[in-house]
Amino acid sequence: MLIDGIYLDGKTSKRHNARLEVVNDHKLTRIHLTEQQQSLSFEFNQCNIESRLGNTPREIAFTDAQLFITNNNDDIDTFSQWQNNENKKSFLYHLENNIPLISVFTIAAILLLYSTIVYGIPSAAKVIDHNAPSFTSDKLFSSLDILDETVFEPSELSTKKQQRIRKLVAPYLANHHDLQPKLEFRSGMQANALALPNGVIVFTDDFVELAQSDNQLLAVLFHELGHLKHKHMTQRLLQDAMITLLVVFITGDVETFDLITGLPTLILDMAHSRGFELEADNYALQQLNQHNIPLQSFVLIMQNLGSYYHEKNDEKSNKLADFISTHPTTEQRIKMAEKFNQQP
Amino acid sequence: MNQEESHSATAAEGVQTPKKTSILNFEFRGDGMEYFKIWIVNILLTIVTLGIYSAWAKVRNNRYFYSNLYLDDANFRYLADPITILKGRIIAILAFIAYYVATIFAPVIAVIIAIALLFAIPYFINQSVAFTNRMSAYKNIQFRFKGAYGEAFMVIYIWPLLGILTLGILYPLAILKANEYFVRNSSYGTTKFDFKATYKDYGMIFLTMIGIALVVGVPVGLVAYFLPAFAMISPLLLFVMYFGLFVYFMVSMTNVFYTSLSLVEHKFDAKLTRTGQTKVILINLFFTLITLGLYLPAAKVRMTKYICSCITMHAQGSLETFTAAEKENISALGEEFGQVFDFA
Repeated sequence: MLIDGIYLDGKTSKRHNARLEVVNDHKLTRIHLTEQQQSLSFEFNQCNIESRLGNTPREIAFTDAQLFITNNNDDIDTFSQWQNNENKKSFLYHLENNIPLISVFTIAAILLLYSTIVYGIPSAAKVIDHNAPSFTSDKLFSSLDILDETVFEPSELSTKKQQRIRKLVAPYLANHHDLQPKLEFRSGMQANALALPNGVIVFTDDFVELAQSDNQLLAVLFHELGHLKHKHMTQRLLQDAMITLLVVFITGDVETFDLITGLPTLILDMAHSRGFELEADNYALQQLNQHNIPLQSFVLIMQNLGSYYHEKNDEKSNKLADFISTHPTTEQRIKMAEKFNQQP
Repeated sequence: MNQEESHSATAAEGVQTPKKTSILNFEFRGDGMEYFKIWIVNILLTIVTLGIYSAWAKVRNNRYFYSNLYLDDANFRYLADPITILKGRIIAILAFIAYYVATIFAPVIAVIIAIALLFAIPYFINQSVAFTNRMSAYKNIQFRFKGAYGEAFMVIYIWPLLGILTLGILYPLAILKANEYFVRNSSYGTTKFDFKATYKDYGMIFLTMIGIALVVGVPVGLVAYFLPAFAMISPLLLFVMYFGLFVYFMVSMTNVFYTSLSLVEHKFDAKLTRTGQTKVILINLFFTLITLGLYLPAAKVRMTKYICSCITMHAQGSLETFTAAEKENISALGEEFGQVFDFA
């Protein structure tokens, strides 16, 4: 069998018309240079046959960068079967040309990608995080310092009031001593409460003013303790890192996908975040129940916070904000509390 | 610069016979459907191997695009070995994780790493371009790149900075310098490329863009201000203008680049048109959106096809006299660092 193609000597860009054949019981490759009336011989097992790829010309590389190129892919496939280790090379080509398999692959790829991001990564983050030694979260965010420098101002609440609230929460914090919780007061950031991974829970002045009763303060304290208990902040950091890595890994060439991949990551991040909030709410409700504090206080503070933010933003932007919000809507949370109430 | 001139002089003296100018078209012979199959198999194998296959996927992708690119009826080739890429990728990913962990646990060390990285970037970019060029071949001759750290530092940091400090007046020059640096240090085998553009070539592009923005943007803004009813559609008009400017920029940049490019006595030319480019982008955008991204590979093929069809080479005589450069080894690490830290 003779295969027509082009021969290049590896030193110049000159192309020679050539014919390739395998002789001597598949041990020798011979290239006949048509114009020069000359032929070159190589050991068949030393030549490297490129794997087949679409309709692209096939290349066979010999020693010293010598090269034979041909469009006759089928005959080269026959040749490569004679080489000992060549079975795997056309495997990909057959995979890529099996239409039913491709269809299954397409669906599988979509499903796999979706489930990895929606289920795989969050649970992986959970596992890693709950197994990480506890000192990690101590160092992770001594970030109250950073927040103090950027958004927070010292609290303007009277020392007396601060003392009173500290005394109020002390027994509950003691209950959770494994999380090493600590309460801090700051002003700035509107009405807000947040939990940092090292156990610091911050109440802002506006929030303390907004709460109408001690029980409402406790409801939010439990919510933040829920975040700490489930290690949400660290999980989120891990998730972000893993999604970034996944995107880089799979897409390989970043530039084509920049626009497409940036968006879903953001949306998924927000979806996860809502899940975290609901988990923390659930924990708060459990704790309230356990300490015989009326669940109504949770509902009230949520309503308060809801109307507080409602006043700050106008109607229209609120609707959009709900849609892409990191927190569940107030109605959702209240509904959840009522549902919890009905449980035996 | 003297070096290149003397080089081209000797090359010109070498051949006495008057040379015939022939116009050679670049042509991309890939097919959207065919590439889709390769792409989807790549994605699936990458997912099931937890990212390890991504190195092979990259090689297969690049091989498809290089091997389907024809000039003078001969195709380009991509030569990289997946194992080399995998090694580079693993090291880069480890470094990325180390950096990420450092940003969380020891911000000071992270800052030091970031500064070190800043100074390492020109080196990595040089390595990256050298690797890509060396792994690209045409008519069995590899491309080369040999850049100096100092010059790379200038075009990556200093020139763009000067561009910003002069409120954009020197920015066209920054782009010019960068192109000049990357082209003049590249070679096809032993033959160096040259780049001859003027400040005016690039300056005109920016001036035209500023002109269009003023002529269209200001009236739209004024009308929206005085006629509130018109305010609804003005963002749309501004978006259309932005898109138009984007296409204009892309087309003009590509055209100027290729008309300024030469390889000894061989010249290049590009005639991308704004309508042609707009059509390709709109079709791609439409199909990519309605197929939720599955059209992406075909979109890439369409874009490549269009751009290639607009580029020509004005060859003086034969393209068969180029000679190969010495063998050399460059790791894929530089390139992979570039991808992971997203600065390439």
